[in-house]
Amino acid sequence: MKKKILLATTGSPASFGAARVAFEMAKRYDAELLLFHVAGVPKKGFSYQEVNDVRSQETVQVDDDYMAWVEEELKNTYAKQLEECKNARIILATGLPHREILRAARDEDVDMIIMGAHSGDSSDIYSKGYPGSTLQRVAKAAKCPVMTVHRESASYMGGFSHIVFATDFSKQSESAFKYALSMAKEFDCEMTLFHALDITSKVLAQSDIEDKLITLRKRLRDVYGPKMGDFKNFEVDVWEGNPYVEIVKIARERMADLIVLAHNTRELDPEQARMGSTLEQVLLRANCPVVSVNRPDKV
Amino acid sequence: MAKKIMVVDDDKEITSYLTQLFKDNGYETVEANDGSEAHDIVAKEKPDLITLDLEMPNEWGPRFYRKLTQNPELKKIPIIVISGLPSNQYAIQKAVASLTKPFDRDELMKIVKQTIG
Repeated sequence: MKKKILLATTGSPASFGAARVAFEMAKRYDAELLLFHVAGVPKKGFSYQEVNDVRSQETVQVDDDYMAWVEEELKNTYAKQLEECKNARIILATGLPHREILRAARDEDVDMIIMGAHSGDSSDIYSKGYPGSTLQRVAKAAKCPVMTVHRESASYMGGFSHIVFATDFSKQSESAFKYALSMAKEFDCEMTLFHALDITSKVLAQSDIEDKLITLRKRLRDVYGPKMGDFKNFEVDVWEGNPYVEIVKIARERMADLIVLAHNTRELDPEQARMGSTLEQVLLRANCPVVSVNRPDKV
Repeated sequence: MAKKIMVVDDDKEITSYLTQLFKDNGYETVEANDGSEAHDIVAKEKPDLITLDLEMPNEWGPRFYRKLTQNPELKKIPIIVISGLPSNQYAIQKAVASLTKPFDRDELMKIVKQTIG
């Protein structure tokens, strides 16, 4: 099946990691790549065609010349990648970034959105602890999986070979599991089904912890084993600790190219679901791309 | 007996430069032009050390390393990453060193000598 990937980019260094993964995926898996950029947010109730330029933050009159200049800038920024990726299109828009990204993803019926964790503004704050608001809103509402590449960390080198699927056994995790399994089958990857036992707010005897680990490993096998079908290249593991730390650690230990998890764990209604703190921390800290999946569409 | 170093890089100039450098310093060498070619050669030659590029046409360095570590006979071979990619030190974290192209030959030789003598 032909895949379509939407790379939402500001063209700034904060999105270079995401761009590298998106171009490499498009090339390796023969997907169509839409290079999508929101040129700025229109001022004055959207009635004036005047935007804050993404890079300079200056107010600019939107006309054909300006948009042509923005497109040229993007072409220059990604010149090398565009040269190697023949099936790419640049799409420009003005408006609120998350709304335009979602609109484009819907209109173009894309299979995946790839973006950085934040735009690169105030990077000191964002790079330490919080994903940007655009990602939060896109991940919450997107019907397709959203891949986040936060750090330019030389991860995802030349294709997927190991996927870590992290679960808390929630309903949302079912869609994430289906997606992880279909990726593992499609790209012939190894897969680790992982659960992190949260012991951060409790004092437990070691034998209690180990009993829980045994029980949870069994639960992983019982819940997901029957759904694996003829796919046998997987293992299950449970580590105790702080969940986001353990997910990042097992991905590093297994040299995973991809982490898949649901983006929220408690809220059943996707409209109400905010991005969970575990996912927030995983996608800022992981050494590989992270895909959040909440909905069964496009899985 | 001379220790053997395997050079894995798709850039012919880099492989010939490294090969010559290692030979001049008394090591045996073998070459591979990408990760998939390197799989067969590493099993046959059992080198004492590997210098590994990350970005190569067919099989990239990290994927080659992943398969290497799945073979108990080969997984302890020390790796030196030599790559021009940004943040290359995170790609193979168990590598003995990660050097960025263009690299310093003296630094490389120092690391090689410290690692395999």
